[in-house]
Amino acid sequence: MSGNTKTFGLALIVVVALACLPFGVSGYVLGLLTLAYYFGVFAMSWDLLFGFAGEVNFGPSFLIGVGAYTAGLLNHYPHWPIWACVVTGAVASVIAGLMLAVPALRLRGPYFGLVTLVAVLLLQNLIVLYAGITGGEIGLDLPDVLSIDEANNYWIALCFMSVSGACLFGLSRSAVGLILQASGQDAVQAAALGFNVTKHKLAAFCVSALFSGLAGAMLIFYEGTASPGTVVDIAVGVQVIIAAVLGGRRTILGAALGAIFLIVAGEILRPLGQLSTFVVSAVALLVILFFPGGFLGLLSRSGRG
Amino acid sequence: MTFLQILIDGFAISSLYALGAIGFTLIFGVSGVLNLSHGAIMVTAAVAAWAVAGNFDVGPYWGAAAGVLASVVMSFATYLLVVRPIQTSRRIAREEKEIFVLTATLLWGIMVQEAIAYFFTSNPKTVRPLVAGVINILGVRTPKQEIVTAVISLAVIGLLWLLINRTRTGKTLLAASINPRGLTLLGFELSTIYLYVWGLYGVMAGIAGVLLGSFLGVSSDNIGQLTASAFSIVVLGGLGSVGGSLVGALVVGYLETITAYLISPSIRTIPVLLLLVLVVYLRPQGLLGRR
Amino acid sequence: MPDLLEVSGLTKRFGGLVAVRDMHFTIAPGEILGLIGPNGSGKSTVMKLIMGIERPNAGSVRIDGVEVAGLASHQIARMGVGIVFQHSRPLHRQTVLENIKLALLPDSLLRLFTASHIEDRARAIAARVHLDHVIDRLPGTLPFADLRRLELARAVARNPKVVLVDEPFAGLTSTEVADFSNLIASFRAEGHAVLLVDHNVRGVAALVDQVLAMYLGERIAEGSAEQVMRDEKVRQVYLGGAIQAASRPAPPSGGRTTLLDVENLSVFYGKAQALDGVSLSVGVGECVSVVGLNGAGKTTLFNTISGLVPASGAVKFDGKDLRGRTPAQIARAGIVQCPESRELFGDMSVRENLDLGGQHLSRANSTRQLEWLLDLFPILKSRHGQAARTLSGGEQQMLAIARALMMQPRLLILDEPTLGLAPVILEQLSKALETLRQTTDITVLLGEQNVTFALPHADRVYVLEHARFIWEGTPERFAIEAGAQFL
Repeated sequence: MSGNTKTFGLALIVVVALACLPFGVSGYVLGLLTLAYYFGVFAMSWDLLFGFAGEVNFGPSFLIGVGAYTAGLLNHYPHWPIWACVVTGAVASVIAGLMLAVPALRLRGPYFGLVTLVAVLLLQNLIVLYAGITGGEIGLDLPDVLSIDEANNYWIALCFMSVSGACLFGLSRSAVGLILQASGQDAVQAAALGFNVTKHKLAAFCVSALFSGLAGAMLIFYEGTASPGTVVDIAVGVQVIIAAVLGGRRTILGAALGAIFLIVAGEILRPLGQLSTFVVSAVALLVILFFPGGFLGLLSRSGRG
Repeated sequence: MTFLQILIDGFAISSLYALGAIGFTLIFGVSGVLNLSHGAIMVTAAVAAWAVAGNFDVGPYWGAAAGVLASVVMSFATYLLVVRPIQTSRRIAREEKEIFVLTATLLWGIMVQEAIAYFFTSNPKTVRPLVAGVINILGVRTPKQEIVTAVISLAVIGLLWLLINRTRTGKTLLAASINPRGLTLLGFELSTIYLYVWGLYGVMAGIAGVLLGSFLGVSSDNIGQLTASAFSIVVLGGLGSVGGSLVGALVVGYLETITAYLISPSIRTIPVLLLLVLVVYLRPQGLLGRR
Repeated sequence: MPDLLEVSGLTKRFGGLVAVRDMHFTIAPGEILGLIGPNGSGKSTVMKLIMGIERPNAGSVRIDGVEVAGLASHQIARMGVGIVFQHSRPLHRQTVLENIKLALLPDSLLRLFTASHIEDRARAIAARVHLDHVIDRLPGTLPFADLRRLELARAVARNPKVVLVDEPFAGLTSTEVADFSNLIASFRAEGHAVLLVDHNVRGVAALVDQVLAMYLGERIAEGSAEQVMRDEKVRQVYLGGAIQAASRPAPPSGGRTTLLDVENLSVFYGKAQALDGVSLSVGVGECVSVVGLNGAGKTTLFNTISGLVPASGAVKFDGKDLRGRTPAQIARAGIVQCPESRELFGDMSVRENLDLGGQHLSRANSTRQLEWLLDLFPILKSRHGQAARTLSGGEQQMLAIARALMMQPRLLILDEPTLGLAPVILEQLSKALETLRQTTDITVLLGEQNVTFALPHADRVYVLEHARFIWEGTPERFAIEAGAQFL
C-alpha cells in the first residue's frame, strides 16, 4: 500500500507542476502537450487491456474512432452540446467494443489481434465510403470546440488525463485489477481459483473502450475537426501501442509517459522533416530491443540498483 | 466482356498476391515469425528496381535484379537486426516474444517507409515493365506485363513447390516447420535453416515487389496496406499453409477485382475484410488450415 | 456420511485416443485417495476433468451430491473444488500476502477494495502453511518449497470441500516432504476430501487411505496402499513381473574405453533442482540403463548431455569436453537422442522422416543404413509412405528409434521408449533392441521407469531418484538390492 501512496504523491506533484506550465511556456508548446495528454489516455487504456488482461489489441483506434466519430456526427448534424456528444461517443465506443470483444475473446494469439486490426480497416473504409456524411478523408468539421484559449484547452486535457490515469491506475491496483492480472497471466489457474476469466476480460475491454472513446471524443473537440488520419488510421493505433510499450508495459502510468515522449520527440525532431518519424521509430525500436521494460522499467531498475 | 476482364485481371492480381503471401507464410511456418515489415520489404524491392533502371541506363532486367537483391539484403537485415535479437533475448519472457516481434517488425517497417519517403519521396513509382505493349485476348486489351506478372508469379511458386517437395533442403525446411526440436536432435543447425529461409523469403518478396511495381505501381504509403493484405490472405488460407495461401490469394484477388468492377473501386477491400472476420470467427484455423 | 466427490463413467477422448475410459471412484469427507499411474496413464486428465479444465465426453462428477460435469472451471471452483497445480505461477509483482488475498476475492467486478476480513483470513492461511515469515516478499525471491506452499495456500483459501493435488512432493527435500504431508493430513482432519495424483504408490503410501492405479486410461487396481503394491497388474505395469537379468556376453577383459563421461552435473529449473551432482560413465559398446520414476531427472540428464539444457559440471565425449557446442553439433558428433516425446515430423511420411535422419550421410551410405533398418523394423517397410502422425504409438516409437539410428550414432540415447505402449508392443520393441545389441557394437544409454524392459538390455544400471543417483550396479544385483524400492 505504501508503494501506491508514494506513486500517488509523486504523480500529484508532477500534475501540479504541469498545471503551472501555462504561466511559463508558449502556446505552441501547450498545444503540443494538450495533444500528448489525449494520446496518453489512449495509451493507458491500451495498457490496461494488454498489460493486465493479457490481450493484444491491434486496433485501439477502432475504439477511439467510434467514440470520436459518434461525438463528431452528433455535434455536426443535430448540434448536440459537447458534453452530450462526448458521453454518447464514449457509450458508443463501449457498445462497439463489446460487439467486437464478445466473439473475439474466444480467439487466441494473433487471431484476436487480427480481428481488432480488421475492425479498424472496416471503420476507416466506412468513413471513406460515406464521405458525404462523414467528410471522408478530409474530415468532419465541428461547429463547437472545447475552448479557443490554449491554456484552457491545456488544463482540460491535463485534468482529463490525470483523472483517467488515476481511475485506470487505481483500477489496476484494486481487487478487480488483481483478478484481471491473474486472468491475463494464466487463465486456467485463475478459473480454478473461481474467477470467471471471460467476464473480467470483457469488463477490461469495456473500461478500455470507455476511456478510449472519451479521449477520442474530447480530442476532436479540441482540434475542431474529426478525420481518419487523427483518430482512426492504423498509424494512430500503432503509435498508441508504441507509446505504451516504450513507457513500460503493465504500469499504466508509463504509457502516458511514453505517449508524451513520442509526441514531444516527434515535434523536437520536426526540423529533420520526414526523417523525424524515422528517428522516433528507431529510438522506440532500440528501447524495445535493449530495454524491454521501457522507461519505467529502467527507472525502477536504477532505483533498486 | 466485363466477365472476361475480371477473369484476366483477377488472375494476374491473385497470382501476384499469392507470391507475396507465400513468402510471408513461409517465414511464419518455418520460424514462427509474423513479419509486419513485409510490405516494406516488397516496396524496397520495387523502389530499388525503379531507381536503378531509371538512373542508370541498364534496362529493366538489371533493375529487377537490383530490386530482388535489395529485398534479400533487407530480409537478412530484418532477421539479424530485429527478429533474432528478440528471439535470443533473455530479458524478454518467452510468452511475450510474439508481441515484441510484432511490435519491432512494425517499427522496422515504419523506419523503412520513412527512409524511402525521405530519399525517394512518397510519390507512386512505376517500375519499367519487363515487356512493353498490349495484347488482345478475346477482345480484352491486356498489357503484356500483366501476363508476364502472372506467369512469373506462378513459375516462382511452382519452383518453390519443387524445392520444398523434391529436394533435401526443401524437406529440411518442411521438417523445421513441423518440429524444429526434432530437427535439432538430428544434427541440423536451426540458425542456418532460418538464415536460409529468410534468404528465400527475400527473393520471393523481391520478385513480388518488382512485379507489383511494374504492374500497379507502388509508393511508400502502400506499405501498411501490403502487409495487411498479405496477413489477411495468409489467415484466410490458414497460417503457415502454403496451399492455403494460394487459395486465400485467389479468393482475395478475385473478390477485390469483382467488387471493383461491379460495385465500386472505392470499396474493393471491404468484402475481403468482412469475409476475413467471418472466417476468423467461424474457422480460425483458416480455409485450409489444420487444427 | 455421503461422499464429497463421486466420479462415475468418466470418459475423455482426444481425437482417436481414449485418455480416460469409464473411470469411477468416490472420496468421503476426511479421506485421502491416491490416484497413481505412470506418465501418459491419464491420471492428470482425470484431475483436469474434475476441475473442468477439460470437458468430459461422458460420465458424471458430483461434488457433495451436485452434478458439475460440463460446467466451466470457475463454476466448479465455486462449488467447492480447489486444485494445487504442479507448476505454480504466482503474480510476480505482488507480495505473498496479496497473492493469497487474490484467492479470497469474490468474483465481482464491483469490489474495488478488499474487505479487512480478507486480509485477516489471508494472514491466517499464510501462518497455517508456514509462509508467515515471508508474507511481504515477492514470489520471485522465495525458495521452491515456499512457492509450493503458496500454491497450496491459494488452493485451500476458499475452504473447498474437495482438494486436488498434482504431484504433491515433486522437487521437495525429505524434511519438506514431511512438512507437506502434515499439511495435507490436516486437511483430512478438517473433513476435506483430498485427491493426490502421483506417479507411484510409494511416494504417497504413508498419507493415503485408498489408492487407485491407472494405466492407459483405465483403472487397473484399487485398495489400500499395500494391496495395490501387491497387485499383480500393478507390478506388471511398473516392473513387468519377475525381473530378468541380462544375457549379453561379458565384455572382453581389461574393461572398455570410456566413450561418455559425465562428471558432477547439476541443473536448476528456476528454483527447482532437477539434477544434483550426477556422475556417470558409459564405455564403448556398453548398454547402460538409467532407471527412475518420472520426475526423477532422467530426461533432464539426457537433455543436458545433448546440449539442450545448460548445466554445471562436465560432459566429455570421447575425451573431449562438449561445453560450448550446439545441440546439433553434439548430434553430428555421434550422440543421438531419441527423446521421450519422439519428436517425429508428423505430417511427413515414414520414409521422409528416415531420410532426414540420414541427410548427413553420403547417399550410398544412407541407402545401406535404410535397408538395414527396414530389416530390423519390418513394420516400417510396409508403412513407408504413410504420414508419421497416422502410425500407432508403437510404430511411432520404432520410427523414432530408426530415425535416430539413421544417423549412425556412436552413442544412442533412448529416453522412455516404452512410454504409453501396450505390453504386446513392448515385446516387439524389446526384441528389436536385443537384435541391435547382439548384432552390432552400438553403445546405448537407456532411460526407463519400466525396470523389466530396461534390465534385460543393460550391462550396468543406475538408479536415479530425486535428482541423484542412489544406486549403481549390475542387473543381477538390482533385483536383490534395489528392486523393492521400485513401486
